[in-house]
Amino acid sequence: MNFPKDLKYASSHEWVKIENGVATVGISDFAQDALGDVVYVSLPNVGDKVKVGVSFGDVESVKAVSDLIAPVSGVVCEVNEELADAPENLNSDPYGAWIIKVEQVSEEADLLDSEAYEAHCAEEA
Amino acid sequence: MSELKRTPLYDAHVALGATMVDFGGWEMPIQYPEGILAEHLYDRKHCGIFDVSHMGRFIIEGKDRVKFLQRVLTSNVLSLTPGRAQYCIIPTATGGAVDDAYLYMFDEDKYMLVVNASNAEKDKAYLGTFLPEYDVTLTDASETLSSIAVQGPEAENILKILSGGCEITGDKKNDLKEITLEGKTVRASKTGYTGDPIGWELFIDAKDVNWLWNRLIELGAKPTGLGARDTLRLEAGLPLYGHEMGLDAVGNEIPIFAVSLAKFAVSFDEEKGDFIARNLLLSQKENGTDKKIMPIRLIDRGVMRAGMDIYFEGKHVGWVTSGTMVPYYEFDADGSITENTGKRSIGFAYVDASVTKKDVIEIDVRGRRLKAKGVIKHLNQSEPPYAKAVLPKQEK
Repeated sequence: MNFPKDLKYASSHEWVKIENGVATVGISDFAQDALGDVVYVSLPNVGDKVKVGVSFGDVESVKAVSDLIAPVSGVVCEVNEELADAPENLNSDPYGAWIIKVEQVSEEADLLDSEAYEAHCAEEA
Repeated sequence: MSELKRTPLYDAHVALGATMVDFGGWEMPIQYPEGILAEHLYDRKHCGIFDVSHMGRFIIEGKDRVKFLQRVLTSNVLSLTPGRAQYCIIPTATGGAVDDAYLYMFDEDKYMLVVNASNAEKDKAYLGTFLPEYDVTLTDASETLSSIAVQGPEAENILKILSGGCEITGDKKNDLKEITLEGKTVRASKTGYTGDPIGWELFIDAKDVNWLWNRLIELGAKPTGLGARDTLRLEAGLPLYGHEMGLDAVGNEIPIFAVSLAKFAVSFDEEKGDFIARNLLLSQKENGTDKKIMPIRLIDRGVMRAGMDIYFEGKHVGWVTSGTMVPYYEFDADGSITENTGKRSIGFAYVDASVTKKDVIEIDVRGRRLKAKGVIKHLNQSEPPYAKAVLPKQEK
């Protein structure tokens, strides 16, 4: 299980990287492993507002559906459209296959560093 | 919560890295590390093996065994000859299903009834209420006898290596045979829950089941979990108790004849005589049921799940009973299998009988209305060794 040090994590298993005021959001290695084969991602549109703690889409695996919870509040400025045709990228490359980018970030959830998140996952496993 | 039960293959599943889950009171592998999609595809192209030892296996013997079974099952037990098996349903007094089951006649003087794991205790209690009226015994052999399903195009080649080239069973579906695999006695049944044209279910003494499991893996079969077992049966259009049988989304009993497969499971033959709910079932057959189970595919992108509401022309007409995304192999024009794969979103609907396969229905997927449509079947099983996906353009 991989927990990159340069990312922050939400306890709901999204990762965030904030650079130059833009937050890139994806799901963690732990999340993709727990979901199993991802077969569909329901994505928001560019311009949609997202809010900390509120669902901005969902990820469907063969087994189940899981909400994507926004780790930051702001406005969606980019969506990874590749996931529409290749949702399995979330399994094969969870930290490369980002889901959305958010600008005008006004709020952050209580995000964990990689060490604290790893401990959080160990508790849930 | 009571402790989960484990099959004799539990340690083998854990050693293989399986994700273990609670399934009907059993701690079972939902998938192995490669995942459900890979396991499903391997079964369709090569050979999948499934630990089905969690299912209930009852031995029914005694003078009145036929009379008893004719009463409590929907099938005509007398149409079964030694070396054959049949699909059947245990009906409720009101024309629904307590469970669906398979009845095997390996021996002249006894029958084996295999039931769903999650229903085994309920079935035993229900069948037990009829036992005092008959000179018959029902023995639960689930712990002493284990079971592995071996399914897919390479199943026969793999099993024949173990049998020293001897035939496994006859070619017909539901053929049975007692065979010897590398010195061990195994009872084989040409049945399965995958829709693969080639496949067997094997019954073996619990003490030998780990040996068989490991030999099958050595010979190229791939362990397949309950997740792929579900996607394979869904693609094959096979009902599952608790989804397409039993109770519907709002707790009403699903009549047996709502499932089209029921016509193969229910006999009104004179030879069979009266049985639980016979007249109600005859009425279901002759007059139809208000709602029916229909295989469907999603037209829009997304995934449907059990319990979702279905609408037609603005009116609520039923619910999804099972649904997910399943993978498939593409085939060349000459019928040969390719390396290319796709995925499709399929399921079962329990809808008003007036809804036809041609109608475009709408499914409420968490607030989004997605279009779906009935299909005749998702899988073509008539071109062995492969079960081939029936895709929209090939319909009709």
